[in-house]
Amino acid sequence: MAENSITTENKNAGGWILYLLAVIGIVLMIKRFIFGIGSVANLNDAYPWGFWIGLDILTGVALAAGGFTLTAAIYIWGNQKYHSLARPAILTALLGYVLFVAALVVDLGRGPVMWHMFLPWMWQHDSVMFEVGWCVATYLTILVFEFLPSILEKFQLTELLKLWRSVTPLIVIVLLTLFTYAMTTSFGWAIAVFAITVVFELTQLGKTGKSRNVPVLLIMAGVLLSCLHQSSLGSLYLIVPHKLHSLWYTPMQPFVFLASAIMIGPAMVIFEGLVSARIFRRKSELELLSGLSKVLPTLLGIYLLVRIAGIIAQEVAQPGAIAAVFTSGTKSLMFWVELAVGVIIPLILLGPKVVRTETNLFWGSLCMIVGLFIHRFNVSVTGIHARGWQTYSPAWSEILISAGIISIGLLVFGYIVRNFPVYEKSALKAG
Amino acid sequence: MNDMTAMLLDSTRCIGCRSCQVACKQWNGLEAEETSFLPSQKGTARAFVDQGYQNPRDLSDKTWTLITFNEIERNGKLNWVFSKLQCMHCGTDARDRNKWPACVVSCPVRALEKTEKGPVIWHEDRCIGCRYCMLACPFQIPKFEWNKPWPRIRKCTMCFDRITHGEAAMTEPACSKACPTDAIVTGERGKLLAEARQRMKDNPGKYNSYIYGENEVGGTCVLVLAANGVSFDKLRYPVGLPTKPLANQTSWAMKGLPYAIVALLAGMAGVYTVRRNKIESQQNSTKKESEVGTNG
Repeated sequence: MAENSITTENKNAGGWILYLLAVIGIVLMIKRFIFGIGSVANLNDAYPWGFWIGLDILTGVALAAGGFTLTAAIYIWGNQKYHSLARPAILTALLGYVLFVAALVVDLGRGPVMWHMFLPWMWQHDSVMFEVGWCVATYLTILVFEFLPSILEKFQLTELLKLWRSVTPLIVIVLLTLFTYAMTTSFGWAIAVFAITVVFELTQLGKTGKSRNVPVLLIMAGVLLSCLHQSSLGSLYLIVPHKLHSLWYTPMQPFVFLASAIMIGPAMVIFEGLVSARIFRRKSELELLSGLSKVLPTLLGIYLLVRIAGIIAQEVAQPGAIAAVFTSGTKSLMFWVELAVGVIIPLILLGPKVVRTETNLFWGSLCMIVGLFIHRFNVSVTGIHARGWQTYSPAWSEILISAGIISIGLLVFGYIVRNFPVYEKSALKAG
Repeated sequence: MNDMTAMLLDSTRCIGCRSCQVACKQWNGLEAEETSFLPSQKGTARAFVDQGYQNPRDLSDKTWTLITFNEIERNGKLNWVFSKLQCMHCGTDARDRNKWPACVVSCPVRALEKTEKGPVIWHEDRCIGCRYCMLACPFQIPKFEWNKPWPRIRKCTMCFDRITHGEAAMTEPACSKACPTDAIVTGERGKLLAEARQRMKDNPGKYNSYIYGENEVGGTCVLVLAANGVSFDKLRYPVGLPTKPLANQTSWAMKGLPYAIVALLAGMAGVYTVRRNKIESQQNSTKKESEVGTNG
C-alpha cells in the first residue's frame, strides 16, 4: 500500500545536512584514529567516560527498546493490532545497535580488538562490561534474524524464507545456551537453558495459525537479551558508589535503567512513526499510535516509582540522598530538569484523560526521549565526582562525531525504508 | 591473606625529596611530564589548597607515583606534610573473585590481574580500552594514553618485574629502594601491619592511630601512616570508602543473572502459551458463530 507514497526525497535541505554531518563525523573519526581520543574529545583521567557513553551508548541502546517492547506486545502477548509497527521498530533497533557498535569502535581505546571478549581464555564473567558486550553481540544477531524476512521478501526468496523459519529456532537455542555458559561458566545453567528452550520449541511443533506466524523463540530471545542488556547498562554504575552522586547512584540502578528503557520503547515508536510519516509523505498511523500511547502513563508511573524507590534505597545505604534532591545546587537542578522533561511534562501531555492529538503525541514522546537522554547524561557526566580542578564538558568534535554517526544511521534508515518492505501491512508473514 | 607483598608508606618519615618519583620513572622508562607550576592564573591559592603544591599536580600515564606537598595546619602552625600517591594494589586474596579489586572485577577481558604475589598488573595483549577500570577504581589510579592511536592503560605495578625477578638486589620496588629515609618499606603485608603498630607503640602521640589501607575496600597491599592530627583526606586519599571489597556492589547482579535468564524465559513461555490458547479459542468460537450464521 505504502510503496508508491514512499517517494525519494533526499535532495531536500534535511538530506544535505545529514550528508554534511556524516562527512564531518567521518573526518573527525579519522583524526581520532591517527592522533588518539584526546585529539577530538575532552575526556580525561577523571572523566574516562563522557558524552559518547551518555548519548551513543546509554541513550542509544534505550532508544532501540522499541524493538523488544513492541515485538513482545505483538508476538508474545498477541496484540496483532500493532503488527504494522513491528518492522520499523525492529529496523530502528537493528540500526541502533549497528551504530552503537560503530560508536564503540570510536570510543573504545582499542576497539578493533573488542572480540577479545568472546575468547574463552579471556572471559571474565564477574564483569558487568562482559555481560554488556555479550548482550550486544547476541542481540545484534537476533535482530538480524528478526529483520531477515524483509530482505528475503524483497527478493522473493521463498525457499530461503522457509529455511529461515526452520533454522531460526535452532540458532536461537544455540545462542542462548552459549550466552548462559559464558555468563556463568557453569554447565548446569547452560543445560538448564538448553532444556527450557528445547522443550518449549518441541511444544510448538505442528502448531500453526495466524497468531503463530513467527518463530516465537526468536522474539523471546530478543526480549530476554534486551532486558539483560538494558539493565546491565545500569549495573555498570553499581561499582561506583563513591564516585556517582546520590541522586543518580542507587543499588537499584539496573531496575531504573530497565524501567526507563521499557517506557521509552513505545515513546520512540510513536515519535518515529510521526516523523517518518512526515518525511516519507506517508499517512501516519495516528489511530494506532495514539492507541499505543495509552500505555505510556502506566509506564511513566512505574518508572517514577522505581526512580523514587531507588533514591530511598540509596538513602538507606547512604543517608543524605533524599536531602540531595533539594540541596545539591546544580546537581539538584539537573535532577529536576530530568524529572520535569522526562516524566512530568509527558504525563501532562499524555495523561489518561487527555485527547490524543498529533501535537500532543509528538511533544509528549519527544520530551520523554530528551528526558531519557538527560537522565543518562546525568549518570555518566553530571553525577560523577571529581577533584576540584578536574572538569569535563564535551568538545564540539565529540558532539560532531556522535552527530555524524546518527546522521549515517538516519541516511541508511531512509535508504532501507525506500527499498525494502518495512512499512507494510503484512509484517513477518513467513512460511 | 597477609603474606602478600605490600608497601608501608610512613608520611611522618617522608622529607619530600621525590627520589621515589625519579626512581619510578627510571625503572619503568616513563617519559617526562610537560608541566606548568601554576594551575591557572585565577583562583591559584584556592587550587593549591585543594590539590597540594606538588608538580605535576596529579598522577598520569607518565607519572605512576607522586609525592603530594600538603600545607596542613597543626597546633596553630602550618606544616608541610608529604605523602605518596600510587596504586593501592587492593585486595588481599587473589583467588577469591569476590575480593578482587574494583579494576580487576570490572575488566571484561581479564586485562587487569590481582597476582598471588600481591601487585595488580595490566596485560597489554588483552585490553580493549573500555576504561571501565578507570571509572571503577576508587583511587583514580589507572590512567589512559589519551593522545595515542593505540592507547594503553598505565599504572603502578609495584615493580612487578623487579619483585618477581628473584635477585637479592631486586626484592623491592624502585621507589622503595630509592627512599633515603625508609618512608617506604616493602615486605609481607602481615609483617608490615605489625611494624606499623610497633611504630605507634614506640612513639606515643606521634601517629594518627588509623592505618589507611588496612580495611579500605577490603584491605589494600599499600598501607599508609599519618602523623597525629593529620587526616587522610588532607593527604589526598579518598576517605569513607566501604570496608568490603567493591566487587560486592556488582556481584549480586552478576550472580543473579542465570536466575533472571531462566525466570524470564519460563515466564515468557508461560504467558505465550496461555495467551495463544485464549486467542485461538476466541478465534474458533467466532469462526463457528459465523459458520452457523451462513448456514442459517
